[in-house]
Amino acid sequence: MARAARRAAAHAVQVGPKGWLLDMMSDAAVDRQRTGLRLGVLQVGAGLVFAVLAVSFWYLQVVRNAQYRELAEQNHQRRLALQAPRGVLFDRDFNVVVENRHALSIAILKEHTADLDKTVRLLAAVTGVSEQQIRDRVNRNRGVPSFRPIVVIEDASLAQVAAVLARRLDFELPGVLVQRVPTRQYPTDGLAAHLLGYVGEVTSAQLAADTGLRSGDLVGQSGVERAFNRQLMGTDGERRVTVNSVGREIATLEEIDAVEGNRVQLTIDLALQKAVEEAFHALGYNGAAVVLDPRTGEVLALVSLPAYDPNAFASGIDRVAWAELNTNPLLPLQNRAIQGRYSPGSTFKVVVAAAALEEGLVTADHRIYCPGGATFYGRFFQCNQRGGHGWVDLRHAIERSCNVYFYTLGNMVGVDRIHKWAVALGLSGISGIDLPGENPSLVPSTEWKRQRTGEKWYAGETISVSIGQGQVSVTPLALAATYAAVANGGRRVTPRLLKAIDDGHGWTPVPARPPGPPRLSPDTVAALHGGLWLVVNGAGTGGRARIDRRDVSGKTGTAQVISLEGSKLAAGRTDLDLRDHGWFAFFAPRDNPEIAGVILAEHAEHGYLAAPIARHLLETYFAKRDGLPAPALPAPPRAQVASATARGDGR
Amino acid sequence: MIDRRLMPHVDWVLLGALYLLCLAGLAMIYSITAGPSGEAPRLVYTQLTAVGLGTLALLICLAVDYRALADRAHIWYIMLILLLVYVLVFGVVRGGGRRWIALPFFNLQPSEFVKIGLALLLARLFGEGQRQVPTFRDLTLGGLLTAAPLVLIARQPDLGTAVTLVPMLALVAFAAGMRLKIAGILLACAVLSSPFVWTYALQDYQRTRIKTFLDPTLDPRGAGYQQIQARITVGAGGVWGKGFRQGTQGQLSFLPVAHNDFIFSVLAEELGFAGVLALLALYMFVVWRSLDTARKAKDRLGMLLVVGVLGSFVFQVTYNITMSAGLAPVKGLTLPLMSYGGSSIIATLAGFGLILNVRMRRFTN
Repeated sequence: MARAARRAAAHAVQVGPKGWLLDMMSDAAVDRQRTGLRLGVLQVGAGLVFAVLAVSFWYLQVVRNAQYRELAEQNHQRRLALQAPRGVLFDRDFNVVVENRHALSIAILKEHTADLDKTVRLLAAVTGVSEQQIRDRVNRNRGVPSFRPIVVIEDASLAQVAAVLARRLDFELPGVLVQRVPTRQYPTDGLAAHLLGYVGEVTSAQLAADTGLRSGDLVGQSGVERAFNRQLMGTDGERRVTVNSVGREIATLEEIDAVEGNRVQLTIDLALQKAVEEAFHALGYNGAAVVLDPRTGEVLALVSLPAYDPNAFASGIDRVAWAELNTNPLLPLQNRAIQGRYSPGSTFKVVVAAAALEEGLVTADHRIYCPGGATFYGRFFQCNQRGGHGWVDLRHAIERSCNVYFYTLGNMVGVDRIHKWAVALGLSGISGIDLPGENPSLVPSTEWKRQRTGEKWYAGETISVSIGQGQVSVTPLALAATYAAVANGGRRVTPRLLKAIDDGHGWTPVPARPPGPPRLSPDTVAALHGGLWLVVNGAGTGGRARIDRRDVSGKTGTAQVISLEGSKLAAGRTDLDLRDHGWFAFFAPRDNPEIAGVILAEHAEHGYLAAPIARHLLETYFAKRDGLPAPALPAPPRAQVASATARGDGR
Repeated sequence: MIDRRLMPHVDWVLLGALYLLCLAGLAMIYSITAGPSGEAPRLVYTQLTAVGLGTLALLICLAVDYRALADRAHIWYIMLILLLVYVLVFGVVRGGGRRWIALPFFNLQPSEFVKIGLALLLARLFGEGQRQVPTFRDLTLGGLLTAAPLVLIARQPDLGTAVTLVPMLALVAFAAGMRLKIAGILLACAVLSSPFVWTYALQDYQRTRIKTFLDPTLDPRGAGYQQIQARITVGAGGVWGKGFRQGTQGQLSFLPVAHNDFIFSVLAEELGFAGVLALLALYMFVVWRSLDTARKAKDRLGMLLVVGVLGSFVFQVTYNITMSAGLAPVKGLTLPLMSYGGSSIIATLAGFGLILNVRMRRFTN
């Protein structure tokens, strides 16, 4: 009771003037009031808690709504790229050269793999692919967002796909999916491999150079695929889908179709390309060939052998195959036609002849006596015929390929004027073909030597240059362009491969870059044509390219692989084939030529052995033009087959 | 069964609010679990059955005078303790906890009913006679009586449910007039002992949950996942929500156990801040109305019984809602009246039966 009184007194103080009332209150009433107070506290407390909750929800739902809505969207919406098929490539007659097929690839979606290690192990076991290989692919794509599939097996076999799908149904391989991917289909046997090039995943350098590209894009990495990548690439589509928490697609929200790349027509004549390659194979040579239309510069065929199979790149080449291609001593990845540089040998003599005639130093009838060699600047230079050619004029000097005649002419013209006319005809520098990776050809000049070595040019060096040796080194393409210029009356051509583009609204021809103005006088042209006609149709070295009534004109040449002294030194010390390469540069017919080109047969030792390839391609060309049956392949000379087989590198 | 004269004193308004909450829960459970064509799944019927059984339990708790029930509180208490021991030994294991007793139609979770038993017992302990201030002896006894089921439940392990007993004791003691000085000392003790609790009393997974709560990015795909997803679910709702059955987080099950522990998140996503406010107001109303009942109670026993029942209810509601917004560590704690779960529904409705009981009998002797 005393305690109650104290309590009541305390209340009295709190309550103030009314305190006296409390004194009269019963104990229970006091208790009730105090309880009421405490319940009030609880009530207010609960109210506060709920108010705080309401404010929290307001903050999350109203203030930060946009951010969370986006996060929720990212959760359940996926943008899946639909890879656009690249444009189909046609040849000049609208034959399909490169098209697309659907390949199946197996990919891992990291987001849905609870245990990546286990998934990799199981996937390897099921598909028979090495665990390491799959792991490498995953590791290489570490930075890729986890919802983007990482392709681990490209171009999977049906057996692999079936094995994976069977497992997936059992939920053993969650996060593994099979995708249909449009894949490039190149001609078999590596036909026109270097010309067409191949595709591969975009490199970081390419990404940096072109803002239109995105990581993971498939782009042309060489050849036509690279040169016209912009046209061929197409526009990837997109599929926006709803997925649930385990990544199963629930619905498609939106689908933007992929737009196939533009169709591209090349200047290539597939039949001719095939004929050249088959002829190379039949004779057992590697090498290069370029065939042009001298009136327009259109490339009809462009060959480099040995080739590789671009289909191996179409769905990602494996490392072993890539390493093999890179370490192969025959350099199958090099496009010899535009990258290989060789000394042109005797094919160069037309340039020296053109220079001498155009500079007015000689006429076509200028005669020189060839005793089998001559001395210039205190050094003896041999002719190609030991006994000498006797008296020869320009035409016959070309026909017989008389070194002495051209030593003399070259000495008269001088290296700078040789250089000048080489440039005029398109032999020096780059030709400007619409292919990436062309190497410049070199015809030296005093200026070039001074810049290159700081030394002055010695007149004696000009003698070697006069017969296409010494510092002269040219690509088959440049030489072909030069012979096209000689054929068309001295107008420099720019070789090109792009003929027309179809962007879905019909074919639009790509305007040709017209050949340059004629640089050679009709007299010069007549003299050169006359000589080159004799090479094939007279007593010259090109007889094996002769075709009745076609007036094939051309010139053989030998590209030294190693000097005579060098070959003695190297004898027996190397496995490399040190035999010289054979050239045959040609055009036909002599009057109003419509086809020109160059054959380089590696280690054929002499140009006349390259001539049958030219003959076969010319026969094919004319047969097709005139609607005649295709010619038979040239038969390989016995010795050639034997040696090629013995070396083990022949086809 | 019930004296007809008592009928007008039934708190129909509170009853209505309770069933509105049950209805909201059913609607959200339907939204989450219904098939694409809208057919109601088994879960909805189960929950409906639970509401029916809960109504039965509510009627029983309402029919018998709460004083009579409280008189036998020790008996209920001992029976429940025995059930908890039984569960520990023979209980059904599900989701890592031994919490259920297998019955023919459903699994009974005794820990839910412990709340009612303990509320009755504590009300009797602190409300006996007309003592105004609980003695130290009362407090110690209350603590021990609370600790026994708490430890047993925590051993299942089900720390979430176990912990709900603590606010019950605290609020009952507070309402009973516990001296604030003692309350302060106890609070200080609790704070000071927390490092020891952290080290010795908590399981590894519990520590992980708290750690990831403080920094969900520690384990965004594991323990932090639910919390991150909960926040996204709620935040994505906006003012008006994505619409009934139109949510993505819940519907596409980015949020785990959406029909159970995270039902409020689903509601927040689909019905937005507007729906959240409505539901919060409804819960708030239930709490205030109940406290009003406590105020109007005829005796201390009734008042404390209401506070006891309300203690665990308010704690569970606020904790679950906080958690469903990703603002509290994830615990397997249901949202009373809304979450899917038979025992929870039945026990909660039974508890409110007692509250209605106190109000109804406020004029009787």
